Amino acid sequence: MKCEDARDALPLFLYGELPFEDEEKVELHIDECAECRTALAKQQALFQAIDAGRMVPSDELLEDCRAELNERLGREGFGEQHEQGAGFWDKLRQGFTIHFHFAPGWAQVGGAVAMLALGFAAARVSPGSLGGPWTTAGMAEPMTSRVRYVEPTEGGRVQIVLDETRQRVLSGSIEDQSIQRLLLAAAKDPSDAGLRVESVDLLKNRPQSAEVRGALLYALQHDPNAGVRLKALDGLKEFANDPETRQTLTQVLLKDDNPGVRTEVIDLLIQHRTDSMVGVLQELMGKESNDYIRMRCRKALSEMNASVETY
Amino acid sequence: MLQATVAQAAVKMDEPELIRAAQRGDQRAFEQLVRLYDQNVLRLALNLLRSAEDANDVYQEAFLRVYKNLHTFRFDCSFHTWLYRIVTNLCLDALRKRRVRREENTVVETSEGVLDRMDTVEESRAHGDPQRQLLSRELQARIQKVLGELTPRERTVFEMRHYQGLRLRAIGELLGTSEEAAKNCLFRATQKMRAALGDFV
Repeated sequence: MKCEDARDALPLFLYGELPFEDEEKVELHIDECAECRTALAKQQALFQAIDAGRMVPSDELLEDCRAELNERLGREGFGEQHEQGAGFWDKLRQGFTIHFHFAPGWAQVGGAVAMLALGFAAARVSPGSLGGPWTTAGMAEPMTSRVRYVEPTEGGRVQIVLDETRQRVLSGSIEDQSIQRLLLAAAKDPSDAGLRVESVDLLKNRPQSAEVRGALLYALQHDPNAGVRLKALDGLKEFANDPETRQTLTQVLLKDDNPGVRTEVIDLLIQHRTDSMVGVLQELMGKESNDYIRMRCRKALSEMNASVETY
Repeated sequence: MLQATVAQAAVKMDEPELIRAAQRGDQRAFEQLVRLYDQNVLRLALNLLRSAEDANDVYQEAFLRVYKNLHTFRFDCSFHTWLYRIVTNLCLDALRKRRVRREENTVVETSEGVLDRMDTVEESRAHGDPQRQLLSRELQARIQKVLGELTPRERTVFEMRHYQGLRLRAIGELLGTSEEAAKNCLFRATQKMRAALGDFV
């Protein structure tokens, strides 16, 4: 090997990057050549000088880099890309899938109706078609969901049909016909006695309306909740002289199973005593078990110069 | 957050597990993965670019690219190779841009000699090493000047071979070239350095 070739090869020789044969040739040449041994020493010194210029990042620089990366990853929305597309319904569907995997029996229920959540049960009348001077406070997210239908599909998956009810807030005067129509509908909502109580309570202050009075009479006769019937009775007090109302009060007095309601009714009826009441009161005496009602009934019959019993 | 969350990571995962967890969107796994390599990435970029600011830019861009493209990593090569391919390409781009701008703003000459601007960077100091003590500031300035005059490819290959200790085969793989081409780059770089610095040693 010539000295020129050996000296060119020295850097790669020091890096250990020469082919095996070339490396051996360089070693042999250096052993024999003093000048090239000096060149090798100089090359090693040069490398050491270069090594000394090696830069090491300071801890401060490293921390700055990490902090900036952290901030930029935050701006990039770390983790969000994995959530993309997973909206409310995707998550809901995912939740159901997981649920059914653990409880596959659910899928066999087919046709069963299960309530997921019950929020404010609005009137069964859609206010959308009603005009009027009310304020619409806006549409809310679905508040009520009802599983209407479930059906097993391929691959162990399940298809579910949900009924949804959205809340809509309206406000307006009690005098407004549209508001009253909503209250009248709410007064008959079979699913929520509390809603009926509140609605009848509002309507009872407007019994002048034939429609409202009809609703109060209906509630007094048919509502299963005594609280609602008592509210309706409150609204009918000023109509105790009205023949239709008196007929309804009479029926309620004989049929209502709640002593509180019967007590209120008899007090209302005997304010305006008529001969037609004698037969009703005598019938009541034959079946009434409540002492107060019997006492009120006997007193009324006595004041009407009627016997307590029928003959 | 990096520090806190990594410290909170109760379970130590090996690298493939970390990669897979990060691919699934596990933030802590990604941060641990960054910490496995970020010091070496920063050191490579700093030594190649000789600028703390530019090194930081490469650091940021490299790991943001890793973050955005990690889902495409299929374990066809080592993660180290994949990451360093990104880093070296970024460094090469930075060096090429610098060559176009004809700027060398990390080393400045003052009345007291050549100084390095990087106040946030520490040079490794071999305390007690007589060789280190004998080297003059002028020699160091000259070395930096020669390194700065190498072509981006020569500079990168030299950096990776000399400072990072990578084999030429690995360097060729990282740069998307052959081992022989990497060897030629290294040869030219060392020839230039010997020609410029031979009289100083």
